[in-house]
Amino acid sequence: MKGPAARDPEAGDKWEVQLRKGCLELAILAALWDEERYGLEILRRLESDSDLIVSEGTVYPLLSRLKALGMVGSKWVESDAGHPRKYYALTPAGKRRAREMARIWTQFSSSMSKLLAPLAKGE
Amino acid sequence: MTIPGDSQQRIEAYLGRLRGRLRGMKDDEVREIVEELRSHIMDKLVAGGETTAAAVDAALGALGTPEELASQYVTDSLLARAEVSRSPLQILKGLFRWASLSVAGFLVLFGAVLGYFFGAVFILVALLKPFHPHSAGLWMLPAPSGDFELSFRLGFGSAPPGGRDVLGWWTVPIGWMVGCGLVMLTTQVAVWCVGQYRRSRAYLKADRPKLRM
Repeated sequence: MKGPAARDPEAGDKWEVQLRKGCLELAILAALWDEERYGLEILRRLESDSDLIVSEGTVYPLLSRLKALGMVGSKWVESDAGHPRKYYALTPAGKRRAREMARIWTQFSSSMSKLLAPLAKGE
Repeated sequence: MTIPGDSQQRIEAYLGRLRGRLRGMKDDEVREIVEELRSHIMDKLVAGGETTAAAVDAALGALGTPEELASQYVTDSLLARAEVSRSPLQILKGLFRWASLSVAGFLVLFGAVLGYFFGAVFILVALLKPFHPHSAGLWMLPAPSGDFELSFRLGFGSAPPGGRDVLGWWTVPIGWMVGCGLVMLTTQVAVWCVGQYRRSRAYLKADRPKLRM
C-alpha cells in the first residue's frame, strides 16, 4: 500500500526546506550576536559557520522585517571599499528574543536526539 | 573600484526596475532598500575581483528578479502600515495583500469587509433618518403569515404600509453608536490579526524562500 508520502518523493525535501526556513530568523539573530555586521557579512557567516546556504534575495527583506519589528537596528558606515554599508546590530529586544529562541531550540533538539537515538544505531 | 559603463548600466537598470516596483512605499524607505542592495552588489563585485558584465549578471541573478524582491518588501510595508493605521482603507489594502498570500488572510479580509459594510449601513441609516423620517430605520412589518418581520430600511421609496417604526428618533443615536462600534471593533480585530501574521512572517517565513541544499 502506498501512503501519500510514498507517492510524493519530494515530501522529505519539502520538510527539510520548511525546517531550514523556520530556523532562518534564529540563524540571523545568532549571526549578529557578537558584533554588528552588514548584509553580505551575515550571509557569509551563515555559510561558514553552518551549512545554511541562504538565497541573498531572502535575507535582505527579512532583515528589514526584523528591523521593523524592533529586533535589530541599523546604521550606514563608510567603508574602505569606497561605498557605504548598512550595518545591523541586535537591539535589547532582539537579544532577548534570540536568547529565548536558543533556549527553546536547545531543549527541543535534545528531546528529539533522545527520541532519534535508536534510529541512528539501526543504520 | 571603477565599474565599466555597461556593467554600471546593468546595475542601474536592475535597481530602476526594483524602484519602479516599490512604488507606494515611502521615499526614504525606497532609497534605503535601493542603496543597501547597491552596496551589496558592489561588495559582491569587490569580493569576486571582477567588474565584467558577466560578473554583474551573476551578482544580480543571485538576488533574484527585481519583481520577486520588491514583492517581499511591498508586502511587509503594506502589513506594517495596516498594523499601525486606524484607517479602514489602509487596513483593507494590507488585508488584500495578505488574502493574496493565504487562506487565513482571505478569511480575515472577508470578516473585515462584512464588519465595515454593516458598520457603514448603521451609520448611513442614522444619517438618512432626518431626511426620510417616515421610512428610514428599523421597521416592524406585518408578514403574510400573520407574524411580524423586522426590516432595516435606508428610507428610499415609500413608507412601508402598516409598518411601525420600532426605534423612532432613537434610530439616530443608536445607528451612530452601533455603526461606529462595529467599525472600531472590525479595525481592532483586523489590526490584531495583521500583527500576529507579521510576527509569524518574520519568525517563520519569507514569501518565496529559495534555500539551496
